[in-house]
Amino acid sequence: MAEMLPRPTDAELEILTVLWSRGPATVRQVHDCVCARKPTQYTTVLKMLQIMAEKGLVRRDEKQRAHIYQVARPREWTQRQLAGDLLQRAFDGSARSLLVGALSAQKASKEELSELHRLLEEYEKGAR
Amino acid sequence: MSWLEIWVHTPGAAALGSTLAHSLWEGALVAIVLAGALGVLRSSRARYAAGCLAMLAMLCGFCLTFQLVLADQPVQGGARALAISLAPVEQGSGTIIANVPARFHPVEYLPWLAPFWIAGVMFFQVRCVAGWMAARRLRRRGVCAATAYWQDCLQRLAAQVRVSPPVTLLESCLAEVPVVIGYVRPVILLPVGLLTGLPADQIEAILLHELAHIRRHDYLVNLLQTVVEGLVFYHPAVWWISRVIRAERENCCDDLVVATQGDALAYAAALTALEDNRGAVRQAVLAATGGSLVTRVRRLLVPPEGPRAALTPVLSAAILTIAVAAAMAAWQTSAPPRPPAPPAPPAPPAAMAPLDAPAPPAPPAVPAISAVAQDKQVSSQSETVARPMTGEERKQKEEKLRKELENPFRKWLNEDVAYIITDAERATLKRLQTNEEREHFVEQFWLRRDPTPDTVENEFKEEHYRRIAYSNEHFAAAIPGWKTDRGRIYITYGPPDEKETHPSPVPSEQWRYHLIAGIGANIVVEFTDPNRTGEYRMTADPAMLRAPDEMPVPSAGTPTAGATVKAKGQGVSISVPLTACGDHRVEVYTRVVIKAMTYSGPVPPPPPVQVFKASIQCPAPYISSEIPLPNGSYTFEIVVKDMVTGKLAGHTIEFEVK
Repeated sequence: MAEMLPRPTDAELEILTVLWSRGPATVRQVHDCVCARKPTQYTTVLKMLQIMAEKGLVRRDEKQRAHIYQVARPREWTQRQLAGDLLQRAFDGSARSLLVGALSAQKASKEELSELHRLLEEYEKGAR
Repeated sequence: MSWLEIWVHTPGAAALGSTLAHSLWEGALVAIVLAGALGVLRSSRARYAAGCLAMLAMLCGFCLTFQLVLADQPVQGGARALAISLAPVEQGSGTIIANVPARFHPVEYLPWLAPFWIAGVMFFQVRCVAGWMAARRLRRRGVCAATAYWQDCLQRLAAQVRVSPPVTLLESCLAEVPVVIGYVRPVILLPVGLLTGLPADQIEAILLHELAHIRRHDYLVNLLQTVVEGLVFYHPAVWWISRVIRAERENCCDDLVVATQGDALAYAAALTALEDNRGAVRQAVLAATGGSLVTRVRRLLVPPEGPRAALTPVLSAAILTIAVAAAMAAWQTSAPPRPPAPPAPPAPPAAMAPLDAPAPPAPPAVPAISAVAQDKQVSSQSETVARPMTGEERKQKEEKLRKELENPFRKWLNEDVAYIITDAERATLKRLQTNEEREHFVEQFWLRRDPTPDTVENEFKEEHYRRIAYSNEHFAAAIPGWKTDRGRIYITYGPPDEKETHPSPVPSEQWRYHLIAGIGANIVVEFTDPNRTGEYRMTADPAMLRAPDEMPVPSAGTPTAGATVKAKGQGVSISVPLTACGDHRVEVYTRVVIKAMTYSGPVPPPPPVQVFKASIQCPAPYISSEIPLPNGSYTFEIVVKDMVTGKLAGHTIEFEVK
């Protein structure tokens, strides 16, 4: 079992999302991305990243002059941690039927996935 | 037994109880009608509309029944409740009290359904509100703005499918699948990493799908649908109808994506990749029910087979519900016809009779008709989108798709240059065997049209693609802009010299071209949009305006149009020889246009520099005119019309003033 990491707060989660989306980044880059959604002070982002590095949520690469931050854990790990929150789960469960999107809320099974790939292959062959 | 018992004996609760009982057969009826409609309807838009109507019918049926039953509820109901609580005191209602415990009758217990129903409604509505709040939270928590490239891409696609509200694209670490959240300010959430994990065209297809949801107001409809679900939760039919609506909603969006992008295979691949991409973090994975994605992909790729097999369980469920309801109704009608038994005898006929007759949303038969009407309306709106399912069309489409994959030049031929390629060129291209030859052909095709072959830029080609882009941006309806009548005219003849727009009574546009080479001068093309779908149809083709051409008039020569242009001072002298006009009167229209390449602004192009029109009685050697012009490149266009035979000749000369 992995060691216990504190559950990220909402602000931390946002920065983590930026890092998952853009990959390892400098504070400046993270700040630019956060600012695209809501105005934030550069120092706030810097402070947040420092705290997160202390908590072990992100890793800091100090080899270059501009420190580069990257996430310490894969997204799935954090998601699993968040999903451990029972209330959150009940919440998400009820939200599921309210969302509209390209896929249904339920994940396709292995059999269905292989069926999908078979269909695509068949069609491609037929197209040739 | 306290307040609950007292409450259960109020007229409201009694009415609610019998409404619940009635809604069993009503719902079953609605489901059967819907099942029948689905058996007939093929287009997903019509099926979706039918589903929504059925849902609405269930809701209205419930409300109407309740109202009717309540209005019908005699005052005795109240009196009886009073009687029970005050039993020992009230002398006058003694007979009633005597009857209540003496007869054991199920109808008496119907009101007891009411508290359970209310508890259920509260549960589902609380869940709905919680879900709504969770959804709102999802759009704020753990998100970051997507890169500018994708934001721009989204804006472009939104313009293409004509989504008006501003849409934001966010990446979310909590969303597992792309979702749309919000109605007024919709947000598209993509799982973080998806933008870099999938090929760009697949992302575009997925974005298009989400935009389709926004355009169709699906978030709002889905919310309302969930509310209704929570009100009629006890009825299996409502869950089935809801499933139908959800499935058809996705199908509608799928159709829109394929209609816009034109590539079913790529889209199916995108959906599959998306499903592959979905994280494995899922807690409590529910048993997959029937694999809706497999069905959807199959629907995209494979023509549908015969009648739907999915109907049988529904039908049996509906029949079962009807049987139960009928049994209950039988009980009710066999109840003592005495007034004291409150909800029993008057209720069923009272509920049934007025329901059948006037109210449009009442369940029986009406939904089917309105569904069909809706179907017609929908299909006339966009035949190409709504009906990709009919066998013949589908086969053709697939055939086309197949060839497209074989031959990338087919798209070029059938879309890019469909309106400007000559028959001879088309035939030539079709004869070519190898891709190198075809590539060479395309190169030559544009080179032949390049007004300045010695420069790198091909102004003609640029203008042509600008026109296509303009058409797609401005004329797109259910079909892409370049396919519409306005798009065809715009791409073929360029922007009109004058344009009149009439929004009412029937939206119409009149485009006036002063001169179209080879066709004539003062050509007016009229477009109307009687159905207000945004797709204007042309009332007459300008090429048809040449009708007199086809009526041979003996002894008439064909006029020839030509001109010589000579530089003269700061301008030119143009002379147009008039030959083969015999002694007819001819009209000559000319204009000088600055060539497209010499201005770099967007639309509209500069107006004609000079237009003149002359009517001359032949025989005459020529007409000439001197035109002062600033330096630049120009096109001189001329049309000569023989007023007796109606024959036309056109010519274009390009020249420069230095």
